[in-house]
Amino acid sequence: MRCEDARTILVEVEGGERSAALREHVAVCPACRAYANDLEGLRIGFRALAAQSVPEPSWGFAARLVRRLDVEEWSRGADFLEQVGRRVVYAAGLLTLLLLLALVLPASGPLRGPTASELYWAQPDTATLANYSILPDETLESRELNSPAPNSSGAKGKP
Amino acid sequence: MEPYRAERDPQEVAWIRGAQRGDREAFGHLVERYQKRVFSQVFRLVRRREEVEDLAQEVLVKAFRAIRSYDFRSSFGTWLARVAVNHCYDFLRRERAQPATFSVSPGDRDAAQPTALVDKLEAPGQDPERQAVLRDLVGKLLERAPADDRVILVLKEMEGLSVEEIGEILELRPGTVKVRLFRARKRMLENWRSLRQER
Ligand SMILES: [Zn+2]
Repeated sequence: MRCEDARTILVEVEGGERSAALREHVAVCPACRAYANDLEGLRIGFRALAAQSVPEPSWGFAARLVRRLDVEEWSRGADFLEQVGRRVVYAAGLLTLLLLLALVLPASGPLRGPTASELYWAQPDTATLANYSILPDETLESRELNSPAPNSSGAKGKP
Repeated sequence: MEPYRAERDPQEVAWIRGAQRGDREAFGHLVERYQKRVFSQVFRLVRRREEVEDLAQEVLVKAFRAIRSYDFRSSFGTWLARVAVNHCYDFLRRERAQPATFSVSPGDRDAAQPTALVDKLEAPGQDPERQAVLRDLVGKLLERAPADDRVILVLKEMEGLSVEEIGEILELRPGTVKVRLFRARKRMLENWRSLRQER
């Protein structure tokens, strides 16, 4: 019997069920004997570990668990109501917004692009602004002095 | 430990059916009946006394949430063991993903190191003492073993379950259980032997 085969059987088979061939090999092979001893040590260790005391549930464990389940169920119910409530609030908000939009915008259409005339009247302003930037500095200065801003008192900035 | 395949108790069936309808009091009776077994399984799998009660509670809450899926094909104990094993397995994997933490207090950390235990084992000693050393050594090796090995070894060597019962809990064929058990034992033995060579 090869050592490898002997060890495979040793690991596989529970103690006490060893074949004659295996017993013979273990008897003459010190390495496999040590292997078998270690394996036996593992088994003893496991048995001792299994015999070790195990923590017990503290008093009232089951009752506390049932209470926890009750609380979870209750809070799940509360969550559900909260979700439903929140949805109602969202829906009401959305409805109000839609109503307001319907009142504010003309009946012909909810949104309109600028008309041709609106674009036309917007043009002179743009042109004036463009002219400003190409005017010589002194012209700009004199213009500013001659026409003060409407909200200033007129005295501000002058000697 | 009670047998896993107990005769169907009509009272237990009534509690299970009640719990499946959402009756939490009925589930409370099941908890009273199985709590010790769940504590034992959780402790043996996780090996952390201070975590056992919390983990057992989480297992039982999970079981209550999933109890509608219980179809009476296996015993309730086996089904509950499956919930416990899966929960502890996830816990061990999560713990393994974090930096290593030892459950021993700093004072006895050196004494509890596996190499120190191997030293003690070589020294001549009384049988009960040797047994205690072997117990601590196997405990440490178990803590270092991969979660899969740990689960299968605990179920076989400590819970004393048959290969068929383990297969039912882990949802594996008995042949697969045997192969995994063989590999887990072999790996553990090799770890022990390599510890001795490390010294
Ligand atoms: Zn050999």
